[in-house]
This record gives sequence, structure tokens and C-alpha cells, in this order.
Amino acid sequence: MITSNNISKSYEKENVLNKVNLQVNKGSIYGLLGSNGAGKTTLLKIMSGIIKQDNGEMTISGREVFENPQVKASTFFLSDSLYFFSQYSVKQMADFFKDIYPGWDKERFLKLEKLFQLDKKKKISQFSKGMQRQVAFWLALSTMPEYLILDEPFDGLDAVVRKKIKNLLVQDVADREMTIIISSHNLREVEDICDYVGIIHQGRLLLEKDIDDLKADIHKVQIAFREEPEDTVWNGLEVLYKESRGSVMLAIVRGIDGDIIQHLEQYHPVILDLLPLTLEEIFVYEMGDAGYAIENILV
Amino acid sequence: MFDLDFRSRKPIYEQLVDKLKDLIINDVLQVDEKLPSVRVLAQQLTINPNTIQKAYRELEVQGYIYSVKGKGSFVNALAKSEKSEELLKIKEQLEKLVAEALFLGMSSSELELLIKEIDESKKRGDQGDHE
Repeated sequence: MITSNNISKSYEKENVLNKVNLQVNKGSIYGLLGSNGAGKTTLLKIMSGIIKQDNGEMTISGREVFENPQVKASTFFLSDSLYFFSQYSVKQMADFFKDIYPGWDKERFLKLEKLFQLDKKKKISQFSKGMQRQVAFWLALSTMPEYLILDEPFDGLDAVVRKKIKNLLVQDVADREMTIIISSHNLREVEDICDYVGIIHQGRLLLEKDIDDLKADIHKVQIAFREEPEDTVWNGLEVLYKESRGSVMLAIVRGIDGDIIQHLEQYHPVILDLLPLTLEEIFVYEMGDAGYAIENILV
Repeated sequence: MFDLDFRSRKPIYEQLVDKLKDLIINDVLQVDEKLPSVRVLAQQLTINPNTIQKAYRELEVQGYIYSVKGKGSFVNALAKSEKSEELLKIKEQLEKLVAEALFLGMSSSELELLIKEIDESKKRGDQGDHE
């Protein structure tokens, strides 16, 4: 389990993270969403012990992360800007990781070689950008991490490779309960594999929730009446948003679908439709409440 | 076995539950047949194993499957009463459709005839199975 407890961090005078509380359960795939400059990378770097927080506590499996070799041996951080030693081939880089990570699995490395079909004797700098990213995943997964921290990992990968990598990640989660945290500014990119999402904006965590709950307990209601209904129609419902389109009313309502239908049917609507929202719509409405510029987060 | 719609508004977990229920109700998955393991399904569909686990748990609660520790999940023998939830849903849908049909000018005797026809053709189908 990764626990971030009241983490704050400032660079010079600029406050980048403000009391962030976050929890990633073991074996979970957690999507950390946020616009550029929201503080995602800083949080992930604190999580992997690269930089130290000013305040608060960051622990993995109950152990403090910063300058703790034990924790770092079981954690792999894949940065958004890749770094390899210049002139190194994949093989040489692999030897380096083998010395650092006690969990290094040579067989895994060879298996993944077949899958990625990249030449391990070639210098990494000669690979294309997307191929270098694949090399990074190849090496990362060969260290058999317990915790895999990925910062914008799918940048520059084509659809086929992206699917291939997601498939590998899912297998590791299923096989050995690997825990993954993925940051992204693109919701769609991570929607399919995450079970939990957190949204970070201007250094604060706005929302943290099970992705299915997020989708299940908020609905778009389309309703029409023969005559103008009583004013009490929406009473007792948690309405996030409401508008009229001609004679049809459209509302975003939070709650259990059965309850909402039961309540509204008392007023004998001519049309009553309940639609689930897309994740994007959910974020727009949930956070529109807080007055944030959500458009930035959803690219 | 089946595909999911990642663009759908419906949560993946609900899609999974519905798809598996479909397969069980329509006897594609037979009683005591083993469901694919979480691991296999996660790999096939490239979705989060936790989501699959959750769907399996839900199906178990609803009585569609049972699990044997260390062996996996299996299709449960469904008592008729356990299909009642499904029946209720269908009834609701039917009500809507029938109201629409009546509104569009279909008479109730026409509806009755339709039901009879469907019933008879189903009986014939069942007999065909036994021959």
C-alpha cells in the first residue's frame, strides 16, 4: 500500500503540492489525473524517493520512502523523460539494473525480448522515441517491481504497443499483485485499466474514488411532463446540474438509479430516461461544482 | 469469449456482470462449468483483474456462480426464483413496448396473436431439440 499523508512541497516560493492525502491499495491500478503543472510528477517523485517532501509522510508498505534502500529495491519509477546512459546498449543497461535491483529476473528479460522484438545489442540512443519507451518498460518489468510508478507512460506509443504494454501490466497485477500508479493528463488513456482514480489540480487532490462507483452513482436524467410539473419535483434529490431543452428537462443527479426513478415517477412523467455519464462528463460536473477549469484536465 | 465496449458509459464491471449473466441464462455456460480465471480473462480483455474479481463477487452474491477455494468459479444451478430479478426487468421493458404498440394502433387481439405465435414456435423448437 502506498500512503501519502499530508504531503506538501514547495519549489522556492511556489507551492506545488498542498497537503495531499492519497492511498493506493496493494494490487490496484491507480490513475492519477491532472492538467500540466498540477503537481503529478512532483508527487510521483516524492513517492519514489527522488525528492523529499517539505511536510507530511510518504510510506510504501508502512515504511518511509526517502533514503530507504529496502523500499526502493521493490519500487520502479518510470519517468516521463527517459534517461539512459549514453552509448549504452539495452544489454549493458540491463546489466546495470541487474546490479541495482535484487529482484531482477533474467528469464523475464529474455521473454520480453521476444515480445518487444528489439535488438538488445543496439545502442539505446539509436532507437526511435517510441522504441526507447518500450525499452524502458522492458527493463522496468524485468526488475519485477512490487510497486510500479509510471509518469505519463504511454506518451509517444502507437495503439498496438500501448495495448501490448497494458496487457503486460494487467498480467503482472493478476499474477503477483503488483501495484501500479499511472499519471496522465488524458483520461481516456487510462480509463480502461484503472480501478481507482485521483484527480489532482493546482497541487490539491480534488477527488479520489473507485472508478466503477464514480460511473455508477451519477446519472443523466431526461424527463418530460405533459403539464408543467410541481416545483417539488427535484426536492430530495442531489441535483448537480439542470437545464431545459424545450419541453424536455435534462439534469445531472447523484444517487442510486432505482431511488431516482422511484422519486420521479411520482410526478407521472411522459418521458423518463436515466443514462450513465461518461467519465469525462462526471469530472466536468463534479468539479464544476468546485469552480475549477475542468476543460484543462480533459484533453 | 466476449468483448467489452471501452467507450461505453456503462462501467466495465457492470458490463462484465451483464455479459456473464447473459451467457449463463442462455446456457452458453452450463451448470458447473468453470468460468475463465481472473488472470486469463484479464489478459484476454486487457482489463484490470480487480474489476473482474469484483464482477465475480457480484455474480456470486446474486447466486449465478459459486466459487471453490483454490479451484475457481463455477456456474450455479439456477433455481427459477433466482431468475425473478431478470424477469422483473423484462416485465418493465415489455410494459413500455406494449404501451408503445398500443399507442401506435396495434390492437390487443393482435398482440395476443403474436404471443401465441411466439409461444408455439418456441414449443416446436423445444420438441426439435428432443428428437
